[in-house]
Amino acid sequence: MGKTFKEALASGKFVITANISSPKGVNVDSLINQVKFLKDLTDGLVVPDNLLATMTMSACAASRLVIENGVDPIMSLNCRDRNRIALASDLLGASLMDIKNILCVSGDHTKFGDHIDAKPVYDIDSVQLLGMARGLEKGRDISHNELNGYPQFCLGAVANPEADPLGPQLNKFDKKVQAGAEFFLTLPVFNIDNLKRFMEHARKSEVKILASIRVLVPEEVHKYADGSYPGLFVPEDVLEEIKDASIDKGIEVAGRLIRDIKDRNICDGINLMASGYEERIPDILKAGGI
Amino acid sequence: MIVAKRKPFQEIKELISGYKKILIVGCGTCVAVCLAGGEKEVAILSAQLKIALRLEGKAVEIKEITIQRQCDREFLQELKRQVDVADFDVILSTACGAGVQLLSDVYSEKVVVPGLDTAFIGVAEGPGIWSERCRACNQCVLGLTGGICPVTMCAKGLPNGPCSGARNGKCEVDPEKDCAWVKIYERLERLGRLDQIKEIVPPRRYSVQQNPAIAIHEAYKRRFDKDGKNV
Ligand code: SF4
Repeated sequence: MGKTFKEALASGKFVITANISSPKGVNVDSLINQVKFLKDLTDGLVVPDNLLATMTMSACAASRLVIENGVDPIMSLNCRDRNRIALASDLLGASLMDIKNILCVSGDHTKFGDHIDAKPVYDIDSVQLLGMARGLEKGRDISHNELNGYPQFCLGAVANPEADPLGPQLNKFDKKVQAGAEFFLTLPVFNIDNLKRFMEHARKSEVKILASIRVLVPEEVHKYADGSYPGLFVPEDVLEEIKDASIDKGIEVAGRLIRDIKDRNICDGINLMASGYEERIPDILKAGGI
Repeated sequence: MIVAKRKPFQEIKELISGYKKILIVGCGTCVAVCLAGGEKEVAILSAQLKIALRLEGKAVEIKEITIQRQCDREFLQELKRQVDVADFDVILSTACGAGVQLLSDVYSEKVVVPGLDTAFIGVAEGPGIWSERCRACNQCVLGLTGGICPVTMCAKGLPNGPCSGARNGKCEVDPEKDCAWVKIYERLERLGRLDQIKEIVPPRRYSVQQNPAIAIHEAYKRRFDKDGKNV
Protein backbone atom coordinates (compact mmCIF):
# COMPACT_ATOMS: atom_id res chain seq x y z
CA MET A 1 0.00 0.00 0.00
CA GLY A 2 1.34 3.47 -0.88
CA LYS A 3 0.27 6.52 1.09
CA THR A 4 -2.53 6.00 3.56
CA PHE A 5 -5.74 7.94 3.19
CA LYS A 6 -4.85 9.99 6.26
CA GLU A 7 -1.46 10.86 4.77
CA ALA A 8 -3.16 11.87 1.52
CA LEU A 9 -5.51 14.15 3.45
CA ALA A 10 -2.59 15.72 5.29
CA SER A 11 -0.47 16.14 2.14
CA GLY A 12 -2.61 18.98 0.81
CA LYS A 13 -3.10 17.24 -2.54
CA PHE A 14 -6.52 17.04 -4.20
CA VAL A 15 -7.69 13.76 -2.67
CA ILE A 16 -9.68 11.24 -4.69
CA THR A 17 -11.71 8.44 -3.18
CA ALA A 18 -14.42 6.23 -4.63
CA ASN A 19 -17.26 4.13 -3.32
CA ILE A 20 -17.11 0.44 -4.03
CA SER A 21 -19.90 -2.08 -3.64
CA SER A 22 -19.79 -5.08 -1.32
CA PRO A 23 -21.01 -8.48 -2.46
CA LYS A 24 -24.33 -9.89 -1.44
CA GLY A 25 -22.92 -13.34 -0.90
CA VAL A 26 -19.44 -14.70 -0.43
CA ASN A 27 -18.22 -14.33 -3.98
CA VAL A 28 -15.67 -11.52 -3.71
CA ASP A 29 -14.39 -11.58 -7.31
CA SER A 30 -16.14 -8.35 -8.26
CA LEU A 31 -14.97 -6.62 -5.07
CA ILE A 32 -11.36 -7.60 -5.71
CA ASN A 33 -11.62 -6.52 -9.35
CA GLN A 34 -12.96 -3.11 -8.34
CA VAL A 35 -10.14 -2.64 -5.84
CA LYS A 36 -7.42 -3.67 -8.30
CA PHE A 37 -8.89 -1.46 -11.01
CA LEU A 38 -9.16 1.62 -8.76
CA LYS A 39 -5.90 1.09 -6.88
CA ASP A 40 -3.77 3.59 -8.75
CA LEU A 41 -6.58 6.06 -9.36
CA THR A 42 -7.63 6.73 -5.78
CA ASP A 43 -6.31 7.56 -2.32
CA GLY A 44 -8.83 5.38 -0.56
CA LEU A 45 -11.95 3.33 -1.19
CA VAL A 46 -15.18 3.76 0.71
CA VAL A 47 -16.58 0.41 1.81
CA PRO A 48 -20.34 0.52 2.38
CA ASP A 49 -22.04 -0.84 5.48
CA ASN A 50 -25.29 -2.40 4.27
CA LEU A 51 -25.86 0.67 2.12
CA LEU A 52 -29.50 1.68 1.66
CA ALA A 53 -30.35 -0.86 4.37
CA THR A 54 -29.66 -3.62 1.88
CA MET A 55 -27.82 -6.57 3.40
CA THR A 56 -24.35 -7.22 2.00
CA MET A 57 -21.07 -8.63 3.31
CA SER A 58 -19.74 -7.14 6.54
CA ALA A 59 -17.93 -3.85 5.95
CA CYS A 60 -15.15 -5.00 8.27
CA ALA A 61 -14.41 -8.15 6.24
CA ALA A 62 -14.70 -6.30 2.92
CA SER A 63 -12.39 -3.53 4.20
CA ARG A 64 -9.78 -6.09 5.18
CA LEU A 65 -9.94 -7.49 1.68
CA VAL A 66 -9.40 -3.98 0.31
CA ILE A 67 -6.23 -3.70 2.41
CA GLU A 68 -5.00 -7.08 1.20
CA ASN A 69 -5.40 -5.84 -2.34
CA GLY A 70 -3.30 -2.76 -1.75
CA VAL A 71 -5.71 0.09 -0.99
CA ASP A 72 -6.54 1.93 2.24
CA PRO A 73 -10.23 1.42 2.97
CA ILE A 74 -12.62 3.94 4.50
CA MET A 75 -14.97 1.66 6.38
CA SER A 76 -18.53 2.88 6.82
CA LEU A 77 -20.08 2.08 10.19
CA ASN A 78 -23.77 2.70 10.66
CA CYS A 79 -25.84 3.09 13.82
CA ARG A 80 -28.90 1.52 12.25
CA ASP A 81 -27.77 -2.09 12.58
CA ARG A 82 -25.98 -2.15 15.95
CA ASN A 83 -26.24 -0.86 19.47
CA ARG A 84 -23.35 0.87 21.23
CA ILE A 85 -21.84 -2.43 22.39
CA ALA A 86 -21.72 -3.93 18.90
CA LEU A 87 -20.41 -0.66 17.39
CA ALA A 88 -17.54 -0.45 19.87
CA SER A 89 -16.79 -4.10 19.44
CA ASP A 90 -16.63 -3.67 15.65
CA LEU A 91 -14.38 -0.64 16.07
CA LEU A 92 -11.91 -2.70 18.11
CA GLY A 93 -12.10 -5.50 15.56
CA ALA A 94 -11.52 -3.06 12.70
CA SER A 95 -8.48 -1.66 14.46
CA LEU A 96 -7.04 -5.15 14.88
CA MET A 97 -7.40 -5.68 11.14
CA ASP A 98 -5.58 -2.40 10.45
CA ILE A 99 -8.69 -0.60 9.31
CA LYS A 100 -8.11 2.95 10.52
CA ASN A 101 -10.46 5.15 8.51
CA ILE A 102 -14.00 4.95 9.82
CA LEU A 103 -16.93 6.80 8.27
CA CYS A 104 -19.46 7.20 11.08
CA VAL A 105 -23.02 7.39 9.80
CA SER A 106 -26.51 7.08 11.23
CA GLY A 107 -27.54 4.89 8.31
CA ASP A 108 -30.38 4.90 5.80
CA HIS A 109 -33.69 3.83 7.27
CA THR A 110 -34.68 0.16 6.87
CA LYS A 111 -37.62 1.32 4.77
CA PHE A 112 -35.27 1.74 1.80
CA GLY A 113 -33.72 -1.68 1.92
CA ASP A 114 -34.39 -5.36 1.41
CA HIS A 115 -35.25 -6.14 5.05
CA ILE A 116 -38.08 -3.69 5.70
CA ASP A 117 -39.30 -5.56 8.79
CA ALA A 118 -35.91 -5.42 10.52
CA LYS A 119 -35.67 -3.34 13.68
CA PRO A 120 -33.77 -0.09 13.04
CA VAL A 121 -31.52 0.23 16.11
CA TYR A 122 -30.27 3.85 16.34
CA ASP A 123 -29.23 3.28 19.95
CA ILE A 124 -26.67 6.07 19.49
CA ASP A 125 -26.32 8.46 16.53
CA SER A 126 -23.38 9.38 14.30
CA VAL A 127 -22.30 12.24 16.60
CA GLN A 128 -22.22 9.95 19.62
CA LEU A 129 -20.48 7.24 17.58
CA LEU A 130 -17.69 9.68 16.71
CA GLY A 131 -17.39 10.59 20.38
CA MET A 132 -17.36 6.94 21.38
CA ALA A 133 -14.59 6.11 18.88
CA ARG A 134 -12.48 9.02 20.22
CA GLY A 135 -13.12 7.68 23.70
CA LEU A 136 -11.80 4.25 22.70
CA GLU A 137 -8.63 5.94 21.48
CA LYS A 138 -8.19 7.33 24.97
CA GLY A 139 -8.67 3.90 26.49
CA ARG A 140 -12.29 4.11 27.66
CA ASP A 141 -15.49 2.65 26.27
CA ILE A 142 -18.71 4.68 26.20
CA SER A 143 -19.63 3.46 29.69
CA HIS A 144 -16.19 4.57 30.97
CA ASN A 145 -14.77 1.06 31.36
CA GLU A 146 -11.05 0.76 30.78
CA LEU A 147 -9.62 -0.91 27.66
CA ASN A 148 -6.64 -3.19 27.42
CA GLY A 149 -4.82 -1.67 24.43
CA TYR A 150 -6.09 1.40 22.59
CA PRO A 151 -7.04 1.71 18.91
CA GLN A 152 -6.21 4.67 16.67
CA PHE A 153 -8.57 5.94 14.00
CA CYS A 154 -8.98 8.53 11.28
CA LEU A 155 -12.64 9.43 11.77
CA GLY A 156 -15.01 10.81 9.20
CA ALA A 157 -18.66 11.70 8.86
CA VAL A 158 -21.14 12.79 6.21
CA ALA A 159 -23.00 16.05 5.60
CA ASN A 160 -25.36 17.25 2.90
CA PRO A 161 -24.61 20.64 1.32
CA GLU A 162 -27.79 20.31 -0.74
CA ALA A 163 -29.97 20.10 2.40
CA ASP A 164 -32.87 22.50 2.41
CA PRO A 165 -32.99 24.18 4.87
CA LEU A 166 -29.24 24.12 5.49
CA GLY A 167 -29.25 25.48 9.07
CA PRO A 168 -30.10 22.20 10.86
CA GLN A 169 -27.49 20.38 8.74
CA LEU A 170 -24.77 22.88 9.66
CA ASN A 171 -25.67 22.61 13.33
CA LYS A 172 -25.16 18.86 13.13
CA PHE A 173 -21.96 19.34 11.13
CA ASP A 174 -20.59 21.42 14.01
CA LYS A 175 -21.48 18.71 16.49
CA LYS A 176 -19.71 16.09 14.39
CA VAL A 177 -16.59 18.26 14.26
CA GLN A 178 -16.79 18.80 18.00
CA ALA A 179 -17.21 15.04 18.53
CA GLY A 180 -14.01 14.31 16.61
CA ALA A 181 -14.62 14.06 12.85
CA GLU A 182 -11.46 14.92 10.93
CA PHE A 183 -12.85 14.48 7.43
CA PHE A 184 -16.25 14.66 5.79
CA LEU A 185 -17.65 13.06 2.70
CA THR A 186 -20.59 15.08 1.46
CA LEU A 187 -23.74 13.58 0.04
CA PRO A 188 -23.74 13.97 -3.76
CA VAL A 189 -23.48 17.60 -4.80
CA PHE A 190 -24.88 19.17 -7.95
CA ASN A 191 -25.22 22.85 -7.22
CA ILE A 192 -21.88 24.62 -6.81
CA ASP A 193 -23.49 27.61 -5.09
CA ASN A 194 -24.96 25.32 -2.45
CA LEU A 195 -21.58 23.65 -2.01
CA LYS A 196 -19.85 27.02 -1.64
CA ARG A 197 -22.40 28.11 0.95
CA PHE A 198 -21.72 24.91 2.87
CA MET A 199 -17.95 25.30 2.52
CA GLU A 200 -18.02 28.86 3.88
CA HIS A 201 -19.26 27.31 7.10
CA ALA A 202 -17.09 24.19 6.94
CA ARG A 203 -13.92 26.22 6.47
CA LYS A 204 -14.35 27.66 9.94
CA SER A 205 -12.94 24.35 11.14
CA GLU A 206 -9.84 22.41 10.18
CA VAL A 207 -11.63 19.35 8.85
CA LYS A 208 -11.05 18.07 5.31
CA ILE A 209 -14.03 18.00 3.00
CA LEU A 210 -14.39 15.69 0.03
CA ALA A 211 -17.37 16.47 -2.21
CA SER A 212 -19.18 13.38 -3.42
CA ILE A 213 -19.79 13.27 -7.14
CA ARG A 214 -22.41 10.81 -8.23
CA VAL A 215 -22.57 9.69 -11.80
CA LEU A 216 -26.22 9.93 -12.79
CA VAL A 217 -27.63 7.11 -14.84
CA PRO A 218 -30.31 8.24 -17.32
CA GLU A 219 -32.41 5.10 -16.74
CA GLU A 220 -32.74 6.06 -13.07
CA VAL A 221 -34.08 9.59 -13.56
CA HIS A 222 -37.49 8.72 -12.11
CA LYS A 223 -35.84 7.33 -8.96
CA TYR A 224 -33.77 10.49 -8.52
CA ALA A 225 -36.96 12.54 -8.70
CA ASP A 226 -39.15 10.47 -6.37
CA GLY A 227 -36.88 10.24 -3.32
CA SER A 228 -35.89 6.58 -3.75
CA TYR A 229 -32.33 7.54 -2.82
CA PRO A 230 -32.26 9.29 0.55
CA GLY A 231 -30.15 12.43 0.57
CA LEU A 232 -29.84 12.60 -3.21
CA PHE A 233 -31.32 15.85 -4.47
CA VAL A 234 -30.82 16.26 -8.20
CA PRO A 235 -31.93 19.67 -9.52
CA GLU A 236 -34.59 19.79 -12.25
CA ASP A 237 -32.25 21.17 -14.92
CA VAL A 238 -29.75 18.34 -14.36
CA LEU A 239 -32.53 15.74 -14.52
CA GLU A 240 -33.67 17.35 -17.76
CA GLU A 241 -30.11 17.25 -19.11
CA ILE A 242 -29.54 13.55 -18.52
CA LYS A 243 -32.95 12.08 -19.19
CA ASP A 244 -33.09 10.19 -22.47
CA ALA A 245 -29.30 10.61 -22.82
CA SER A 246 -26.62 7.93 -22.52
CA ILE A 247 -24.32 7.28 -19.54
CA ASP A 248 -21.76 9.51 -21.29
CA LYS A 249 -23.96 12.47 -20.42
CA GLY A 250 -23.88 11.44 -16.73
CA ILE A 251 -20.09 11.29 -16.98
CA GLU A 252 -19.99 14.71 -18.64
CA VAL A 253 -22.11 16.25 -15.84
CA ALA A 254 -19.87 14.62 -13.20
CA GLY A 255 -16.76 15.84 -15.00
CA ARG A 256 -18.09 19.41 -15.13
CA LEU A 257 -18.66 19.39 -11.36
CA ILE A 258 -15.21 17.94 -10.64
CA ARG A 259 -13.57 20.58 -12.82
CA ASP A 260 -15.47 23.36 -11.04
CA ILE A 261 -14.57 22.06 -7.60
CA LYS A 262 -10.92 21.47 -8.41
CA ASP A 263 -10.22 24.58 -10.48
CA ARG A 264 -11.95 26.86 -7.99
CA ASN A 265 -10.33 25.09 -5.08
CA ILE A 266 -13.68 24.66 -3.34
CA CYS A 267 -13.01 21.38 -1.49
CA ASP A 268 -10.07 19.21 -0.49
CA GLY A 269 -10.98 16.48 -2.89
CA ILE A 270 -13.76 14.36 -4.27
CA ASN A 271 -15.42 11.06 -3.55
CA LEU A 272 -16.71 9.30 -6.65
CA MET A 273 -19.95 7.38 -6.63
CA ALA A 274 -20.28 5.43 -9.83
CA SER A 275 -22.15 2.36 -8.75
CA GLY A 276 -22.23 -0.15 -11.59
CA TYR A 277 -19.95 2.07 -13.70
CA GLU A 278 -16.72 1.80 -11.72
CA GLU A 279 -14.90 0.88 -14.94
CA ARG A 280 -15.72 4.36 -16.26
CA ILE A 281 -13.99 6.13 -13.36
CA PRO A 282 -10.90 6.90 -15.52
CA ASP A 283 -13.26 8.62 -18.02
CA ILE A 284 -14.94 10.56 -15.23
CA LEU A 285 -11.60 11.79 -13.91
CA LYS A 286 -10.50 12.70 -17.43
CA ALA A 287 -13.76 14.62 -17.95
CA GLY A 288 -12.96 16.43 -14.71
CA GLY A 289 -9.51 17.40 -15.94
CA ILE A 290 -7.67 14.97 -13.64
CA MET B 1 -54.11 9.24 25.17
CA ILE B 2 -53.50 5.69 23.97
CA VAL B 3 -54.51 5.10 20.38
CA ALA B 4 -55.51 1.69 19.12
CA LYS B 5 -57.33 0.19 16.17
CA ARG B 6 -59.53 -2.83 15.87
CA LYS B 7 -57.88 -6.04 14.74
CA PRO B 8 -59.01 -7.43 11.39
CA PHE B 9 -62.37 -9.16 11.84
CA GLN B 10 -61.02 -12.50 10.63
CA GLU B 11 -58.27 -12.43 13.25
CA ILE B 12 -60.79 -11.70 16.02
CA LYS B 13 -62.95 -14.57 14.80
CA GLU B 14 -59.98 -16.92 14.94
CA LEU B 15 -59.08 -15.77 18.45
CA ILE B 16 -62.54 -16.68 19.78
CA SER B 17 -63.07 -19.73 17.61
CA GLY B 18 -64.26 -22.80 19.49
CA TYR B 19 -65.72 -20.86 22.40
CA LYS B 20 -69.46 -20.90 22.99
CA LYS B 21 -69.97 -18.18 25.56
CA ILE B 22 -68.18 -14.98 24.77
CA LEU B 23 -67.98 -11.87 26.91
CA ILE B 24 -66.88 -8.74 25.07
CA VAL B 25 -65.53 -6.11 27.44
CA GLY B 26 -65.14 -2.59 26.08
CA CYS B 27 -63.26 0.30 27.64
CA GLY B 28 -64.76 3.77 27.95
CA THR B 29 -61.57 5.84 28.04
CA CYS B 30 -58.82 6.23 25.40
CA VAL B 31 -60.00 3.54 23.02
CA ALA B 32 -63.54 4.93 23.15
CA VAL B 33 -62.23 8.37 22.17
CA CYS B 34 -60.28 6.89 19.25
CA LEU B 35 -63.37 4.95 18.15
CA ALA B 36 -61.76 1.55 18.50
CA GLY B 37 -63.05 -0.18 21.64
CA GLY B 38 -65.73 1.87 23.40
CA GLU B 39 -69.39 1.05 23.92
CA LYS B 40 -70.43 1.72 20.31
CA GLU B 41 -67.58 -0.25 18.81
CA VAL B 42 -68.28 -3.16 21.14
CA ALA B 43 -71.93 -3.17 20.00
CA ILE B 44 -70.87 -3.19 16.35
CA LEU B 45 -68.30 -5.94 16.89
CA SER B 46 -70.80 -8.02 18.84
CA ALA B 47 -73.43 -7.70 16.09
CA GLN B 48 -70.89 -8.57 13.39
CA LEU B 49 -69.73 -11.65 15.28
CA LYS B 50 -73.26 -12.82 15.94
CA ILE B 51 -74.20 -12.54 12.26
CA ALA B 52 -70.99 -14.11 10.98
CA LEU B 53 -71.07 -17.04 13.41
CA ARG B 54 -74.76 -17.65 12.81
CA LEU B 55 -74.13 -17.77 9.05
CA GLU B 56 -71.48 -20.39 9.76
CA GLY B 57 -74.06 -22.35 11.76
CA LYS B 58 -72.27 -21.86 15.06
CA ALA B 59 -74.40 -21.47 18.13
CA VAL B 60 -72.72 -18.94 20.38
CA GLU B 61 -73.83 -16.65 23.13
CA ILE B 62 -72.30 -13.20 23.15
CA LYS B 63 -72.72 -10.62 25.85
CA GLU B 64 -71.18 -7.20 25.79
CA ILE B 65 -70.35 -4.76 28.54
CA THR B 66 -68.26 -1.60 28.61
CA ILE B 67 -66.64 -0.34 31.78
CA GLN B 68 -65.14 3.08 32.20
CA ARG B 69 -61.50 2.07 32.50
CA GLN B 70 -59.99 -1.38 32.04
CA CYS B 71 -56.50 -0.36 33.10
CA ASP B 72 -57.47 0.26 36.73
CA ARG B 73 -58.23 -2.47 39.28
CA GLU B 74 -60.73 -0.21 41.02
CA PHE B 75 -62.79 0.14 37.85
CA LEU B 76 -62.80 -3.62 37.27
CA GLN B 77 -65.04 -3.91 40.33
CA GLU B 78 -67.80 -2.56 38.11
CA LEU B 79 -67.40 -5.54 35.82
CA LYS B 80 -67.67 -7.89 38.80
CA ARG B 81 -70.88 -6.16 39.92
CA GLN B 82 -72.51 -6.42 36.51
CA VAL B 83 -71.64 -9.90 35.23
CA ASP B 84 -70.56 -13.22 36.53
CA VAL B 85 -67.50 -13.81 34.43
CA ALA B 86 -67.53 -17.49 35.43
CA ASP B 87 -70.50 -17.92 33.05
CA PHE B 88 -68.29 -17.28 30.02
CA ASP B 89 -65.66 -19.32 28.19
CA VAL B 90 -63.65 -16.41 26.87
CA ILE B 91 -63.27 -12.68 27.41
CA LEU B 92 -62.69 -10.58 24.30
CA SER B 93 -61.29 -7.28 25.50
CA THR B 94 -61.37 -4.17 23.36
CA ALA B 95 -59.07 -2.22 25.67
CA CYS B 96 -55.47 -1.27 24.97
CA GLY B 97 -52.81 -3.86 25.75
CA ALA B 98 -52.66 -2.64 29.36
CA GLY B 99 -56.37 -3.23 29.86
CA VAL B 100 -56.26 -6.69 28.28
CA GLN B 101 -53.44 -7.68 30.62
CA LEU B 102 -55.15 -6.36 33.74
CA LEU B 103 -58.26 -8.38 32.85
CA SER B 104 -56.05 -11.43 32.35
CA ASP B 105 -54.46 -10.78 35.70
CA VAL B 106 -57.72 -10.37 37.58
CA TYR B 107 -59.44 -13.29 35.82
CA SER B 108 -56.45 -15.57 35.75
CA GLU B 109 -58.58 -18.69 35.24
CA LYS B 110 -60.18 -17.27 32.09
CA VAL B 111 -58.96 -17.01 28.53
CA VAL B 112 -58.66 -13.30 27.69
CA VAL B 113 -57.98 -12.27 24.08
CA PRO B 114 -57.42 -8.84 22.54
CA GLY B 115 -59.77 -7.25 20.02
CA LEU B 116 -57.47 -4.32 19.28
CA ASP B 117 -53.92 -3.59 18.23
CA THR B 118 -52.51 -0.85 20.45
CA ALA B 119 -50.66 1.62 18.28
CA PHE B 120 -49.25 4.62 20.15
CA ILE B 121 -49.52 7.46 22.66
CA GLY B 122 -50.81 10.44 20.77
CA VAL B 123 -53.17 13.33 20.37
CA ALA B 124 -56.49 13.88 18.61
CA GLU B 125 -55.79 16.10 15.62
CA GLY B 126 -59.44 16.42 14.64
CA PRO B 127 -62.45 14.17 14.15
CA GLY B 128 -61.21 10.68 13.28
CA ILE B 129 -57.51 11.47 13.18
CA TRP B 130 -54.83 10.90 15.80
CA SER B 131 -51.09 11.29 15.66
CA GLU B 132 -48.27 9.84 17.73
CA ARG B 133 -46.44 12.22 20.07
CA CYS B 134 -44.72 10.23 22.81
CA ARG B 135 -42.65 7.05 23.17
CA ALA B 136 -42.78 7.07 26.97
CA CYS B 137 -38.97 6.95 27.10
CA ASN B 138 -38.80 8.09 30.72
CA GLN B 139 -36.22 10.84 29.97
CA CYS B 140 -38.11 13.73 28.37
CA VAL B 141 -36.07 16.10 26.20
CA LEU B 142 -38.93 18.37 25.11
CA GLY B 143 -37.52 21.20 27.22
CA LEU B 144 -34.49 21.35 24.92
CA THR B 145 -36.12 20.62 21.61
CA GLY B 146 -38.77 23.29 21.41
CA GLY B 147 -41.63 21.02 22.49
CA ILE B 148 -41.12 18.64 19.55
CA CYS B 149 -39.98 15.14 20.43
CA PRO B 150 -37.08 13.83 18.30
CA VAL B 151 -37.44 10.36 19.81
CA THR B 152 -40.99 10.07 18.50
CA MET B 153 -41.26 12.50 15.62
CA CYS B 154 -37.95 11.68 13.87
CA ALA B 155 -38.26 8.39 12.01
CA LYS B 156 -34.81 7.41 13.29
CA GLY B 157 -35.22 8.96 16.75
CA LEU B 158 -31.98 10.89 16.23
CA PRO B 159 -30.97 12.90 19.28
CA ASN B 160 -28.41 15.35 17.86
CA GLY B 161 -29.91 16.75 14.69
CA PRO B 162 -31.14 15.67 11.28
CA CYS B 163 -29.85 12.94 9.03
CA SER B 164 -28.83 13.99 5.53
CA GLY B 165 -32.07 13.06 3.88
CA ALA B 166 -34.65 15.72 4.73
CA ARG B 167 -36.06 17.00 1.46
CA ASN B 168 -37.68 20.45 1.44
CA GLY B 169 -38.28 20.08 5.13
CA LYS B 170 -39.94 16.67 4.72
CA CYS B 171 -38.72 13.37 6.14
CA GLU B 172 -36.69 11.04 3.91
CA VAL B 173 -38.60 8.08 5.27
CA ASP B 174 -42.07 9.49 4.57
CA PRO B 175 -42.29 12.60 2.42
CA GLU B 176 -45.82 13.21 3.71
CA LYS B 177 -44.37 13.96 7.14
CA ASP B 178 -42.32 16.93 8.30
CA CYS B 179 -38.70 16.32 9.24
CA ALA B 180 -38.78 16.58 13.03
CA TRP B 181 -35.35 18.19 13.14
CA VAL B 182 -36.24 20.88 10.61
CA LYS B 183 -39.31 21.63 12.76
CA ILE B 184 -37.24 21.69 15.95
CA TYR B 185 -34.65 23.98 14.40
CA GLU B 186 -37.23 26.37 12.99
CA ARG B 187 -39.18 26.53 16.23
CA LEU B 188 -36.07 27.24 18.30
CA GLU B 189 -34.90 29.80 15.75
CA ARG B 190 -38.23 31.63 16.09
CA LEU B 191 -37.93 31.50 19.86
CA GLY B 192 -34.32 32.72 19.75
CA ARG B 193 -33.21 29.53 21.53
CA LEU B 194 -31.02 27.74 18.99
CA ASP B 195 -28.36 27.65 21.68
CA GLN B 196 -30.34 24.79 23.23
CA ILE B 197 -29.35 22.39 20.46
CA LYS B 198 -25.72 23.44 20.07
CA GLU B 199 -24.40 21.07 22.69
CA ILE B 200 -23.93 17.38 21.95
CA VAL B 201 -26.65 15.32 23.57
CA PRO B 202 -25.12 12.30 25.34
CA PRO B 203 -26.34 8.76 24.59
CA ARG B 204 -29.74 7.89 25.98
CA ARG B 205 -29.83 5.94 29.23
CA TYR B 206 -31.81 2.85 28.49
CA SER B 207 -31.21 1.72 32.06
CA VAL B 208 -33.91 4.16 33.18
CA GLN B 209 -36.35 2.39 30.92
CA GLN B 210 -37.14 -0.71 32.93
CA ASN B 211 -38.98 -3.43 31.14
CA PRO B 212 -41.63 -3.72 32.48
CA ALA B 213 -41.67 -0.36 34.24
CA ILE B 214 -43.13 0.41 37.65
CA ALA B 215 -43.92 3.89 38.95
CA ILE B 216 -44.57 4.45 42.66
CA HIS B 217 -45.55 7.90 43.88
CA GLU B 218 -43.26 9.36 46.55
CA ALA B 219 -46.07 9.47 49.10
CA TYR B 220 -46.71 5.75 48.68
CA LYS B 221 -43.13 4.49 48.67
CA ARG B 222 -43.38 3.16 52.23
CA ARG B 223 -46.13 0.77 51.20
CA PHE B 224 -44.39 -0.99 48.31
CA ASP B 225 -41.08 -2.57 47.51
CA LYS B 226 -39.32 -1.58 44.28
CA ASP B 227 -41.23 -4.21 42.33
CA GLY B 228 -44.58 -2.82 43.47
CA LYS B 229 -45.34 -5.59 45.97
CA ASN B 230 -47.03 -4.61 49.25
CA VAL B 231 -44.62 -4.56 52.17
S1 SF4 C 1 -35.48 13.31 7.59
FE1 SF4 C 1 -35.64 14.26 9.59
S2 SF4 C 1 -37.31 13.18 10.63
FE2 SF4 C 1 -36.74 11.95 8.86
S3 SF4 C 1 -35.26 10.47 9.67
FE3 SF4 C 1 -34.06 12.20 8.89
S4 SF4 C 1 -33.82 13.57 10.65
FE4 SF4 C 1 -35.42 12.11 11.19
